[in-house]
Amino acid sequence: MEDIFHWCREGNAMQVRVWLDDTEHDMNLGDDHGFSPLHWAAKEGNSKIVELLLLRGARVNATNRGDDTPLHLAAAHGHRDIVLMLLRQKADVNFTNEHGNSPLHYACFWGYSDIAEDLLHHGAVVSIANKDGDTPLDKARGNLAKTLHELAVEAGQDLKKIKFKDQSWLGLKTRSRDATLSRHKGINIKELVLRDKLASSPSGETYKGIWQKNEIIAKILAVRHCTSRISRDFNEEFPKLRIFSHPNVLPVVGCCNSPPNLVVINQYMNLGSLYSVLHEGSNVVVDTAMALKFALDIARGMSFLHGLERIIPQYHLNSRHVMIDDDLTARINMADAKFSFQEKGRIYYPAWMSPEALQKKLSDINWEASDMWSFAILLWELATREVPFADQSPMEIGMKIALEGLRLGIKPGISPHLTKLIRICMNEDPGKRPTFDMVVPILDKMKR
Amino acid sequence: MEEEIERPIEKVLFRQSSTEQRLSPVHLSEEDSDDACDEEIAKICRTPKIIDVKLKPEDGAFAYSETQDKRRTSVGTLKDIKSSRKMASPRPKSPRQVVLKNDKEESFWDKIGTLGRKKRIKEVQEVESEGKYAIDSPGSPNAPIVPPEEYALDENEERCMIQPHAFNDPKLHELMQVLIEWINDELASQRIIVQDLAEDLYDGQVLQKLFEKLTNDKLDVPEVTQSEEGQRQKLAVVLAYFNRVLGLQVGGSNKWSVEAIHSKNLVAILHLLVALARHFRAPIRLPEHVSVDVIVVQKLYGQLNHRMVRENLTASYDDVGMKCERDAFDALFDHAPDKLQVVKKSLVTFVNKHLNKINLEVTELETQFHDGVYLTLLMGLLEGFFVPLYSFHLTPKEFEQKVHNVSFAFELMEDVGIAKPKSRPEDIVNQDLKSTLRVLYNLFSKYKNVG
Repeated sequence: MEDIFHWCREGNAMQVRVWLDDTEHDMNLGDDHGFSPLHWAAKEGNSKIVELLLLRGARVNATNRGDDTPLHLAAAHGHRDIVLMLLRQKADVNFTNEHGNSPLHYACFWGYSDIAEDLLHHGAVVSIANKDGDTPLDKARGNLAKTLHELAVEAGQDLKKIKFKDQSWLGLKTRSRDATLSRHKGINIKELVLRDKLASSPSGETYKGIWQKNEIIAKILAVRHCTSRISRDFNEEFPKLRIFSHPNVLPVVGCCNSPPNLVVINQYMNLGSLYSVLHEGSNVVVDTAMALKFALDIARGMSFLHGLERIIPQYHLNSRHVMIDDDLTARINMADAKFSFQEKGRIYYPAWMSPEALQKKLSDINWEASDMWSFAILLWELATREVPFADQSPMEIGMKIALEGLRLGIKPGISPHLTKLIRICMNEDPGKRPTFDMVVPILDKMKR
Repeated sequence: MEEEIERPIEKVLFRQSSTEQRLSPVHLSEEDSDDACDEEIAKICRTPKIIDVKLKPEDGAFAYSETQDKRRTSVGTLKDIKSSRKMASPRPKSPRQVVLKNDKEESFWDKIGTLGRKKRIKEVQEVESEGKYAIDSPGSPNAPIVPPEEYALDENEERCMIQPHAFNDPKLHELMQVLIEWINDELASQRIIVQDLAEDLYDGQVLQKLFEKLTNDKLDVPEVTQSEEGQRQKLAVVLAYFNRVLGLQVGGSNKWSVEAIHSKNLVAILHLLVALARHFRAPIRLPEHVSVDVIVVQKLYGQLNHRMVRENLTASYDDVGMKCERDAFDALFDHAPDKLQVVKKSLVTFVNKHLNKINLEVTELETQFHDGVYLTLLMGLLEGFFVPLYSFHLTPKEFEQKVHNVSFAFELMEDVGIAKPKSRPEDIVNQDLKSTLRVLYNLFSKYKNVG
């Protein structure tokens, strides 16, 4: 069968690249057994493709139906270069599959001593017992067992057996995504099961629900009169929001266009938006490192979006429109982009918008630079953990930013580097603001 | 120039009636789609029916080449017509007077037939350039004399004339302009453009269309009439309908009559239109207290007698808003003017509570809401959003800009689930207090508890 899994298996890097260039393709999707492209490439030892996939941001710890990660497969099949690549991308070295086996179990069982040693150097524990009570050391034979034992002792590992605990119910794993998620554009409204109403906003009502056994968020758009023209525009615009090809962009999975109901569907994110993580109290601790990580994620996502042809004109970058994934990746939520017929003449969060965007039409301004202004506000928000202009109503904020020069003050306590970055990004002259391509390396450096 | 460009209709078909040289709009029946119109125009353009005015060098007078039954058809865009009209005016009143046909002179048609002959080509070109000159030249050197028949009065016949100096009154001009614009707005969908009230309305054709548009009724009259008698009959029918709608007695109003309108009596036409605009609550603001001096000439025992009469065309109006079901505000205005002040005061307090947040203050409801700016800002303050400044005019000057602002504010209201206001945007812009109060009261009742 000619598909992405096939190309990854046979090592057709060219086809894989072409496939990845289509924004509608989700590189984290899984086949019938939950193998992602990365799984296949790692299993078959196609290091070029593994490299390509990792570069594009494929999930390194995705699991298949047997809870194997790509590292399990690479270790079991003796692809040392791939094992090293995966380890460099922070693959979870002690992850156990449904049998309780870690990658080290497989390396030992198949006698790949180099790989076993590499794993050990990256913190693999030799005493994890699988379902049958065997540790990697039990699996190793002859010389390898001896060397591993010595290395483990050297690294100060406790050699006492760690008993197998079934943790699959904890839901910590990130399975490769159900392939059906990115396959369907138009979704039949009858296939949707909507359960809890999460929120009601001016743009529509948001429900949590199930679609094809996936947890989804469905937003029923608030449209006064759903004319055939609106329905047609909707049909034309929503496919542009299905961007599966970047880890920091949360795609719209699909839409139901069944007037009078227009429904936008995307993946359910347990942690909610960056706004709720920052300001509404959650279990996530946002320290400086985490804040920088979020900032970097957002910058990468925006840089990717700016690199595309303009998708949809109305994505307003602010903390409500960024979602936080289970693995604490910040993702730009395409479901929050505004359709051309939505909220005409109403801006609910002007605090994040540049003065020029509040005054002029989008077609008359440099919207990339305007996004950069919004990013500066986000940086300020991440640094201070405060809501910008929290004490004023949107109309007050908008009028004052647009006409009276209201600006955020930089408070003491923000690191000088970040202060400088905020200042640069918030330059009054749109032409002098940096691009996201320029900001990414700066943030990368700051993070280290 | 700008005004011409902004006209909604690009192509208008003009005709000239049998008795009249003046251009007047042709009414295309409703079935005519845009395409059909274009096609029609193209067809006419292809068939060389357009007759050029040809200047005879010998005597310098206008000569018109002959067409069947001397009816003349002309086609062009509005702009062309306008400009050519401007330049070629004044136009001859009647074709009878000016057709000085020289038998020896070959008509344009004859020349068409001889186009093939080489020796005639030059002649044809000459004639063409003459024709072009006749159209483009800045007016006729000899203005044709107005036919004396028009002045001839029968015994006891009366004729009204507006004093020439009355036309200098800017208020009269404004009134006519407002009415013309209103009619043109109403009839834009019918592709009818009125340029002159007396000349375009006298035959009842436009009045019929106007009636049908205003009442959504279809009148049982012939679509097109050419004969004078037919026009009179049609006009009578149309006026009878109007009188009925206006609630007048069988005799109708003494201010207008079939005869008066058909004889292009501007005063009668203005009276009728003002009455219509008032009755149908046209979304226009009529200039108040417009009056004209009229000379009435009557022939008595072979003598022409004249007297001066002052005709009041408009009065002062306090309600320009649309009529709708009677509500509390009608009662308030009619029966409790003292309470009105209380209502106004509490509405002022309400709007200021919110507008003060952005350093704005309202003192007078009638005038300060008419341009829609405060209304738009108020919506944002009440509903918690900012309105990007490009979506409305922050400092509107033109009437259209104000109407845009008010309609935009209405859109916002509907978007957030407030019932569509009963008032028209134009009423607010025309500073109709009742309409303004209705809208503000709607907001008040929904948001009075919003902090």
